[in-house]
Amino acid sequence: MEQEDPEKIPNWKSDFPIQSKKASHVNRREFAKFLGLLSGALALSNGGIVIKAIAFPSKPLEGEHFVCHENDVPVGKMFQFSIEGNKVVPYMLIHLENTEWRAFEQKCTHLSCAVRYIDDTKRIECPCHHGYFDADTGEVLQGPPPRPLPQLEVVNKEGKIYVKEMKS
Amino acid sequence: MSDFRTSQNEAHPNKTNTLMTGIILMLILFVTIQIWFLYGALNNALEDNFFFAVITFIGSFLFALASFWLLRYLPEPLKDKPGKKK
Ligand code: FES
Repeated sequence: MEQEDPEKIPNWKSDFPIQSKKASHVNRREFAKFLGLLSGALALSNGGIVIKAIAFPSKPLEGEHFVCHENDVPVGKMFQFSIEGNKVVPYMLIHLENTEWRAFEQKCTHLSCAVRYIDDTKRIECPCHHGYFDADTGEVLQGPPPRPLPQLEVVNKEGKIYVKEMKS
Repeated sequence: MSDFRTSQNEAHPNKTNTLMTGIILMLILFVTIQIWFLYGALNNALEDNFFFAVITFIGSFLFALASFWLLRYLPEPLKDKPGKKK
């Protein structure tokens, strides 16, 4: 039997001249290239935001939407409803005083938790990170939310409550 | 003709090392700024601030171009000397 030369590189090795160590090793060149790729991807996603803003501009709410009857919501209570457009937006109706009604979007402007009206303090509270909004204007009183709650205008037509887009 | 690439390849390994580190640090800086832009644009999109979205996109795009251009200057991998047994 022919004795194998231990120094000789076997044929399969010269056929596949890639060491497994090299194949799994991410060197700095590859890391740098990966960073370049990441940079491109970030630019693309930023472009995606622009495209989305052009393609789907947020439209104001059209027309008046019936919510409920005046008697359904006692003073100091809130009523949750939602309006379906191209997406369902949750709102809440607050009966502040006898003739005072308010309607706000029920999504906290911080991280979109559902907010609720607290009648004791006349404030809207976000339970997630204790943000507070003014129940009269929707302004941020305290906590992390960066913007006031979006508001709808409430119209009372002979005991029926409707909401429509706020005139600015 | 001797150009940048040739002299770079012939440079002492320590130089390529510094070059590599510099390039990677700059890339990391670019990517960080881009992430910051993206974060801002996402926040502002909620407020319908279209102008901000466009400006960050242009900035991010320029940074991406800069990082691609930087990749040109990556040093070649050190070649194994022929005949050297591993
Ligand atoms: S989600 Fe409302 S305060 Fe954070």
